[in-house]
Amino acid sequence: MTRLAIEHLNKIYADGTEALRDVSVRADDGEILAILGGSGCGKTTLLRLIAGLDQASGGVISVGGERLAGTHPTISAVFQEPRLLPWLNVEQNIAFGGQRLSAVEQRDRTAALLERIGLAGYDKRWPKDLSGGQLQRVAIARALIGHPGILLLDEPFSALDPFTRGSLHELLLALCAELKPTVLMVTHDVDEAVFLADRIVVMRPKPGRVHETITVNLPRPRDRISPVFDTVKRRIMHAIDRSLGEQGRAGLRPVAGGLSPWW
Amino acid sequence: MGWAARPWLIGIIVPVLLGVAWEVGVRFGVVPGRLMPPPSVLWHSAMEMARSGELQTHIGATLIRVFTGFGIGAAAGTLLGTLTGASRWARLLLDPTIQGIRAIPSLAWVPLFILWLGIFETSKLALVALGVFFPVYLGVLSAIQDVDRKLVEVGRVFGLSSFGIVWRIILPAIMPVWIAALRSGLGLGFMFVIAAELMGASEGLGFLLLDGQQMGRADSILVAMITFALIGKVADGVIVGISRPLLRWQDTVRARL
Repeated sequence: MTRLAIEHLNKIYADGTEALRDVSVRADDGEILAILGGSGCGKTTLLRLIAGLDQASGGVISVGGERLAGTHPTISAVFQEPRLLPWLNVEQNIAFGGQRLSAVEQRDRTAALLERIGLAGYDKRWPKDLSGGQLQRVAIARALIGHPGILLLDEPFSALDPFTRGSLHELLLALCAELKPTVLMVTHDVDEAVFLADRIVVMRPKPGRVHETITVNLPRPRDRISPVFDTVKRRIMHAIDRSLGEQGRAGLRPVAGGLSPWW
Repeated sequence: MGWAARPWLIGIIVPVLLGVAWEVGVRFGVVPGRLMPPPSVLWHSAMEMARSGELQTHIGATLIRVFTGFGIGAAAGTLLGTLTGASRWARLLLDPTIQGIRAIPSLAWVPLFILWLGIFETSKLALVALGVFFPVYLGVLSAIQDVDRKLVEVGRVFGLSSFGIVWRIILPAIMPVWIAALRSGLGLGFMFVIAAELMGASEGLGFLLLDGQQMGRADSILVAMITFALIGKVADGVIVGISRPLLRWQDTVRARL
């Protein structure tokens, strides 16, 4: 079943910047969708519109067939930065994501999630005392405590070191396999997109448009160093290359004369 | 053992040396003791006043004025600051008026307050409340506008109402600035209580100052001044002490000291 349908979405900011033009994307129940592209593709704008943090200039977003207006109780998010509330401890921060749960449910699910994210015993710590990876684990737990139908991820792993990133990828996949939200993840990391996603939407910049959608037919668990993984990655990179075709290449042209000696 | 264990000892070196020099200066006739009574005389006067209960009466009267006025001014400043900070319409409607009133030096209200509210307690409380109001109002207003937009978005994504966002995101976020504003408000409260008591009172530390001047008793003036310093410091310490558990989450240089 289609969980999220985005149809002909446009976004023009007040200063006249056209961030998105005619973007249409669908995501099924439990599907993991990666939105891939460089900066200026409107990836984050797209996520903000779905989260209800900004108003679209045109087009429709519907969730489970119901037209979206503003924030939605079954849509939850993890941001680029952890954005934990610094005055709440770890336990309270996770429970914060479950505004609609009863106190008992909040407590039980928080305890279970703390265990799952490997931070049992950290419940009373302040965010200031946690590492970047630990903070992002808590942010993931906060986003999942309410069992959202749709989970939005805005480059949540981009600020982390490769070791931490890898372990968080595993954690995210395990939690998603359990709770089965539809995941929309914005990223500029091809490796990450291929490792996590069922489908990859490649976007092109200025204004942000959908260039190509590619299905990743790799069995799970995926092996980053297998040759097939590499093949899919190469396909995606080609798509990105083509997406930059018209404008991107033109923009890069001045470098073409760069074969002359530097003196 | 020594300074490292009790760093505050370093802070009392200068006052102790000054006190000793003063005492010695008076004893040797270098400093006129009548106008500049030395610490021993001040101690004696303070003890005398404490024994007769006079000092306690004055302290009590001043404290009641400061804390009542502070309570009114801080509550009004917090409420109006929250309103104008959180609502654009309230800000457009009310802030220009409040800023206009702020441009009037607060002591200029004294004649009007006396005319309106009489010479007794009400006008004094009004003056203290007015002095406390502005730093608290301004602190709350600007702190709310400085709240991280990203944290407010977290509240929106997780389904908080407008009221929920104010209560669960904005107010905790401004807590450190609010407490700093309350502290400076309290400092101004002590300043304005003196002004209020100088304009006509029969008790209070401000009265003690005026009375000392009229009676030519420098010792009671100095006792009143030192008492002001002590209770001001203690009152500030009480705010700091109460607020410390509320600010334990902060990751600042000060929090680590």
